[in-house]
Amino acid sequence: MKNEKTVIAGAGVIIGIIAAALVFFGNPANMGFCIACFLRDTSGALGLHSAAAVQYIRPEIIGLVLGSCILALVNKEFKPRGGSAPVTRFVLGMFVMIGCLMFLGCPFRMILRLAGGDLNAIFGFVGFAAGILAGVFFLKKGYTLKRSYKMQKTEGALFPIVEIVLLVLLIAAPAFIHFTEPDGGPGAKHAAIVISLAAGLIVGALAQKTRLCMVGGIRDAVLFKEYKLLIGFAAIFVSALAGNLILTAVTGNTYFHLGFAGQAIAHTDGLWNALGMMLAGFGCVLLGGCPLRQLVLAGEGNTDSAVAVFGLIVGAAIAHNFGLASSADGPTANGKIAVVIGLVAVSVIAAMNSCKNDSTRRTAYEND
Amino acid sequence: MNEYIATFYSHFGAVCFKRACAACNVPAVIMPVPRSLSSSCGTCVKFQAGTEQDFPEKNEEIEQIVRVDGGRFVRIYEAEE
Repeated sequence: MKNEKTVIAGAGVIIGIIAAALVFFGNPANMGFCIACFLRDTSGALGLHSAAAVQYIRPEIIGLVLGSCILALVNKEFKPRGGSAPVTRFVLGMFVMIGCLMFLGCPFRMILRLAGGDLNAIFGFVGFAAGILAGVFFLKKGYTLKRSYKMQKTEGALFPIVEIVLLVLLIAAPAFIHFTEPDGGPGAKHAAIVISLAAGLIVGALAQKTRLCMVGGIRDAVLFKEYKLLIGFAAIFVSALAGNLILTAVTGNTYFHLGFAGQAIAHTDGLWNALGMMLAGFGCVLLGGCPLRQLVLAGEGNTDSAVAVFGLIVGAAIAHNFGLASSADGPTANGKIAVVIGLVAVSVIAAMNSCKNDSTRRTAYEND
Repeated sequence: MNEYIATFYSHFGAVCFKRACAACNVPAVIMPVPRSLSSSCGTCVKFQAGTEQDFPEKNEEIEQIVRVDGGRFVRIYEAEE
């Protein structure tokens, strides 16, 4: 048990350092990793949305999936499974992305924004925790998307293969793939492909080994008083913070800027930062893990998680095509409406998959 | 008395099994699945029973049951796929 905590803490420290280093090597500020942003960029590169500032096939995503896949294969943990409410998972994935793009970051980037001194992320964190508590409420009410089933190996392998195809497209850069023009926005800021890919592979393997999950940390602490995953959470924050401070001191550039105003790829509307992450946290509990965890599970052959990732990708396209995504200027009116609709929709999904099961099951046991 | 761990396809399955354990006076706790047992991040039930005959009735959400044997897990039940 103690050893497991040490492994999780160590993995968190390494991941935090890698995240800080990726910014040094070219990624946008406070965005060494951001699953939501990177899936959004990939969605744009494939032409699913036309926001020219955020189009790039992010090798970190490819690496995360393949890192998890390779380690799972080595440890004989690659187990193709699926069939647990795929459409519901797709819809939940869409709304999680809409929540993330209201805040401008996934739970992973929320931690990295805090480590970069962005105090707006505190509001995001409060909303995120509240969303997780809402999800835990429904878990206790008997929420379930029903069991998954064993799938054929080819079914589980398809998602990692899609990632390899994306890597080929990134390297070959055919004309039909969209790339943000130099200095055209966050999509133009990236580390070299080999560095990003290596970072993704390492973090994917570490996350597979430790089951690191930004949602699972708070969920397990509330449900079981189990703090192992939270230790990983804290370790990422501390090491990324240390990395940012060291980089600031050594390079003279700003990797740490404490305050609310003037933060990179962030806005200062506390209410909508909180509500966006509340939607993300709530949806992630119902999905069984944060966007990072969905990628890692998809790499292990979990096709339900792969469907959730496709939902995240489509959610990103919707967010930009319909003007839902926030910018440094703040949230949009469309985005606010979408987040409210999302909170209602996710609540309905949670309720529809809870109460009925609970009463049915309770009746069954009473009959027994 | 042996120690067993049951893993489930859903958190809900674990909650139901824990209730069933309580109804049968089988000491049980609900907790995250040990990493050494599975790479999934679901919920499991650790319970104590003499033999398999003392187990509460299995529900369809049970993925597997293992006996904890000196730090090792000995699989004694696995759901049919």
